[in-house]
Amino acid sequence: MKIEDLERFEKMESEGLETLPSEERRRFLQMGLAVTGVFAGGTVLSLMSARPVNGALEGISLKDYPYKPHYCMVLRQDRCIDCELCKEACVKTNHVPEYGYRTTILERELTVGPASRQREFMPVLCNQCNRPPCVRVCPTVATYKDKTTGIVMMDPKKCIGCKTCMAACPYNARYFNEEIRAIDKCDFCFASRLSKGMTTTACAEACPADVRIFGDLSDPTSRVYQLVHDPERVVWVLRPETGAAPNVFYTKG
Amino acid sequence: MKKTFITALVLALVGATFLVHGVGATEEEHGGTIVFTRPVKAVVFDHQSHMDMGYECDTCHDGLFEYATGSAEESGEFNHKSFAEGNYCGACHDGSTAFTAVLDKATGKCTLCHIGVKGLDRASGKETKKPHGD
Ligand code: HEC
Ligand code: HEC
Ligand code: HEC
Repeated sequence: MKIEDLERFEKMESEGLETLPSEERRRFLQMGLAVTGVFAGGTVLSLMSARPVNGALEGISLKDYPYKPHYCMVLRQDRCIDCELCKEACVKTNHVPEYGYRTTILERELTVGPASRQREFMPVLCNQCNRPPCVRVCPTVATYKDKTTGIVMMDPKKCIGCKTCMAACPYNARYFNEEIRAIDKCDFCFASRLSKGMTTTACAEACPADVRIFGDLSDPTSRVYQLVHDPERVVWVLRPETGAAPNVFYTKG
Repeated sequence: MKKTFITALVLALVGATFLVHGVGATEEEHGGTIVFTRPVKAVVFDHQSHMDMGYECDTCHDGLFEYATGSAEESGEFNHKSFAEGNYCGACHDGSTAFTAVLDKATGKCTLCHIGVKGLDRASGKETKKPHGD
């Protein structure tokens, strides 16, 4: 992740997202997807519990989840200890070269009180956005939103390596893979695992601290559904201001 | 003259013993800062900060820990399940003597002990790999 991105995260947090202009907020709410509708709360009003947020959403009709299964990941951020077993598992499973990553861990220091600073780790990966800026800018349709699962996929055969998608991604989640001469990115382990009948990603499976929770957001019995719809829980996404409507959610505890 | 010398020698020896097993121990003698890497990378333990709390060597080195880095890691029991039963760090880090190391209660405090791969790289002078895109 670029340093400026990190700085933006920090700024977002310290300012409180309720300072987002109402124009931005409306645009976010109007995206019409249930996910963004529900999470507009968790994201736009990121520092509040979801309860007032759900209240604020009353009267807005939420459509059904656009994908089935609607894959997403919830990251219990404060439990991340940067052991990086997730990264190791990802590299092994998806043959990620040394110079790139599909997922990584960011680190920052927070000021939590007078003369008291606390380290914080933040796992990041492709946010599998509902309105992916990368897909919008790709000139060859090499990257696309899978109609069934909502996963943002890559077709390396169509990729001409122009890197426009890399520049467009708000999450710095793409890299150019020299071996296949194409952009590579996280596909929630679709090619390596999900398509073979496995039910979770390599990183989620490897995490010893139960930070990464993967599942189907359209299934009310799933853990991701329950975490995200818990009215007492604060859930947020990174960089909501881009309007990309991500499917990677962050929470604490 | 000779007597004075012996007294001095005895005093020095007593002093040395005191230094090795007492409050005045220096970094080399008490093991300094230890970074554990198993089962996960990486956890920091600082002798000095714990000595400053007024503990004796025996508080930890009479049952909880050996005088040898690596023993706990080799035991195969150096984990949070064992801490929750009061072993190792869990003898004090139980939420009353010190902040808890019981996993389901330690929310938000993990990084006080866990410095991660990034902390380990810093501690060993290795520069953290820059993520792509920089
Ligand atoms: C709060 C607990 C605590 C106290 C108090 C403490 N130690 Fe330790 N000490 C440890 C731990 C934990 C280790 C690592 C043990 C392991 O890896 O199995 C250790 C390891 C050591 C080692 C081995 C270092 C190495 O490089 O192998 C020495 C020597 C040592 N301690 C000396 C002392 C002395 C001397 C004192 C008193 C001045 C002292 N310790 C007080 C917790 C403590
Ligand atoms: C004999 C009791 C005792 C044992 C055993 C013990 N601690 Fe502590 N530790 C304390 C106390 C007391 C504090 C002060 C924390 C507080 O205010 O809650 C502390 C503070 C800390 C801190 C924060 C201060 C600092 O040094 O940066 C860390 C980190 C820490 N302990 C790690 C460990 C680890 C890791 C172990 C096991 C290897 C361990 N401790 C074993 C008593 C203990
Ligand atoms: C008092 C210090 C301390 C605190 C607080 C702490 N840990 Fe640990 N943790 C350790 C030590 C010591 C080890 C064993 C040494 C190692 O793995 O490097 C360990 C090991 C682990 C492991 C691997 C072994 C196991 O038990 O599964 C995980 C996972 C882990 N910690 C997660 C966490 C999480 C998540 C939190 C916060 C909710 C946390 N830890 C808080 C000290 C601590």
